Amino acid sequence: LFSLFQSLVSGKTLDASDVAPVLEKFRDLLIAKNVAAEIASKLCSSVETKLIGKHVGSFEGVTSVVRATLTESLMLLLTPKRRLDILRDVREAQHNRKPYAITFCGVNGVGKSTNLAKVSFWLIENNFRVLIAACDTFRAGAVEQLRTHVHHLNALHPPEKHGGKTMVHLYEQGYGKDAADIARMAIDHARKHTFDVVLIDTAGRMQDNEPLMRALAKLILVNEPDLTLFVGEALVGNEAVDQLVKFNKALANHSNATNANTHMIDGILLTKFDTIDDKVGAAISMTYITGQPIVFVGTGQTYADLRNLDAKAVVHLLMQ
Amino acid sequence: MVLADLGRKITSALKSLNNATVIDEKVLDDLLKEICTALLESDVNIRLVKKLRENVKLAIDFDDMAGGLNKRRVIQTTVFRELVKLVDPGVKPFVPVKGRPNVIMFVGLQGSGKTTTCTKLAYYYQRKGWRSCLVCADTFRAGAFDQVKQNCTKARIPFYGSYTEVDPVVIATEGLEQFKRENFEIIIIDTSGRHKQEDSLFEEMLQISTVCKPHNIIFVMDASIGQACEAQARAFKDKVDVGSVIITKLDGHAKGGGALSAVAATRSPIIFIGTGEHIDNFEEFKTKPFISKLLGMGDIEGLIEK
Ligand SMILES: Nc1nc2c(ncn2[C@@H]2O[C@H](COP(=O)(O)OP(=O)(O)OP(=O)(O)O)[C@@H](O)[C@H]2O)c(=O)[nH]1
Ligand SMILES: Nc1nc2c(ncn2[C@@H]2O[C@H](COP(=O)(O)OP(=O)(O)OP(=O)(O)O)[C@@H](O)[C@H]2O)c(=O)[nH]1
Ligand SMILES: [Mg+2]
Ligand SMILES: [Mg+2]
Repeated sequence: LFSLFQSLVSGKTLDASDVAPVLEKFRDLLIAKNVAAEIASKLCSSVETKLIGKHVGSFEGVTSVVRATLTESLMLLLTPKRRLDILRDVREAQHNRKPYAITFCGVNGVGKSTNLAKVSFWLIENNFRVLIAACDTFRAGAVEQLRTHVHHLNALHPPEKHGGKTMVHLYEQGYGKDAADIARMAIDHARKHTFDVVLIDTAGRMQDNEPLMRALAKLILVNEPDLTLFVGEALVGNEAVDQLVKFNKALANHSNATNANTHMIDGILLTKFDTIDDKVGAAISMTYITGQPIVFVGTGQTYADLRNLDAKAVVHLLMQ
Repeated sequence: MVLADLGRKITSALKSLNNATVIDEKVLDDLLKEICTALLESDVNIRLVKKLRENVKLAIDFDDMAGGLNKRRVIQTTVFRELVKLVDPGVKPFVPVKGRPNVIMFVGLQGSGKTTTCTKLAYYYQRKGWRSCLVCADTFRAGAFDQVKQNCTKARIPFYGSYTEVDPVVIATEGLEQFKRENFEIIIIDTSGRHKQEDSLFEEMLQISTVCKPHNIIFVMDASIGQACEAQARAFKDKVDVGSVIITKLDGHAKGGGALSAVAATRSPIIFIGTGEHIDNFEEFKTKPFISKLLGMGDIEGLIEK
């Protein structure tokens, strides 16, 4: 009698048979929006766990309850647990007379070099002097690509605007040399010539390419950059998972065991966000795997096309 | 091998049919679920996956069919046929003709591997004795001409480009003129990366295509692409006459399922795949043999042909 009474006044208690078919639809929605299949399933099962046994009001549909819970989980996922304030950290490094170093890494063609140039622009706009280290010594045209950017950036921010100082320089040793060595020399150079930031461009590499992954781990181990950004494109599908798992693993495996602070991926730079319409799922896959924040979003091919992630807008697009 | 993992999963799912004593709707649903999950995990477009599921279900009438053997065969052949549809648009690829200029234009999203693949293709034909060359009609990407120059110099492929001209249409026209005059047989035109959301970029692609009148337009796709591929591929096809697809970066872990939707959207066959950054990491792709090898299902192909 009691349970009958309760269901009359306050709706019902959700069980698996209520929730499962609805979640199936949401899982497909997430996949259609380019969330990796495995992660879409995991997100949905955690929502299921949360909802089973929960009382819902009689006028509240199961669909809207599921939607609200999933929306909340997605928001939480995209909200950084710690605030990364690069400008503040650079200022602090400046104070300690030590250049702040950022490494850009990722698979081939995702936009590492272009977005490194955008980050330079942003730093210069904030009146910091930048040294770009050309550590992609493999891909044809990689060095000239950076040189062109340096040229453009200095034209936009000529020394006259900055007390006679040239705001951005290229440190390069041509092709074929060891990337870790060049990064080291670049950081030395920056220290001697009072650059505030060193941006390290690295060659694209496939996450399964053992020698190349080892070389990246060495670059990071030797140079201990202040920040390691994984550059991933918003176009990527299920591969996002494997890329991030293996980049992280490579950095962990090859790092010095005696070194207490293992360097891992500190944040994500999500590129080509302007090419995907509402298929914004890669943002979810990447944060789910790393637990790290999306520090920048690349939204085009000009220097100004660099944004912060708008978590609310992303979740809205996902749930549409 | 490309999609090998996917092939294994599908084959083992299909084999499980042989173990089932009765083949009812539940057995079919389980099978389809397994196959569809494998496809989705390989980035195959979700609409294509749903279509495949529907088509298989439509082909099987549980009331009508008598023996289990018959049902098994119908299920297996239908699944096979649907998978073939994903990879095979049923169109013959363009074949260049010796002794005349064959103009091949590359298009695709940013960073998909066009420039690298242009050199690979030129080199491929060069080694087969064709007179091949490359025109760099990308005036946007920083260092684009240097990239072509360095690649071509290393492979001894003649190239055309400019550091000062900003209009890719002008470069394409001039380069084409010069190489035609010099009786080149394979003339490859590299273009900037672009995406459907930026009209001016698509307009530029149309202009290049209009003045160059390419015999073939190749759409280059990165194997790791996910669900956004379909809309992009469709938009490229709507703007210019894409005739072939090349999937790059298959040396990684990616199965290339997302890129497959480019086949459906452009109704164009895959002609080559890229398997590394080096100039000879390049393989011809033939649809039919690929499928039977992929699924290890020569026997089932035999069934269809009967
Ligand atoms: N639409 C769009 N294109 C971008 C964005 N970021 C980079 N690109 C383009 O993507 C292409 C590849 O960019 P790169 O910066 O060369 O990529 P990379 O990761 O350095 O490439 P490799 O060094 O060869 O591995 C270029 O055409 C860029 O203009 C973005 O946010 N939006
Ligand atoms: N591992 C691997 N890398 C590849 C393959 N094909 C191309 N790449 C790499 O992908 C990156 C981008 O290649 P590009 O040829 O510059 O791409 P693109 O399409 O010309 O780029 P944009 O002109 O900027 O649009 C480079 O690092 C290439 O070395 C491949 O098959 N395997
Ligand atoms: Mg680069
Ligand atoms: Mg290019």
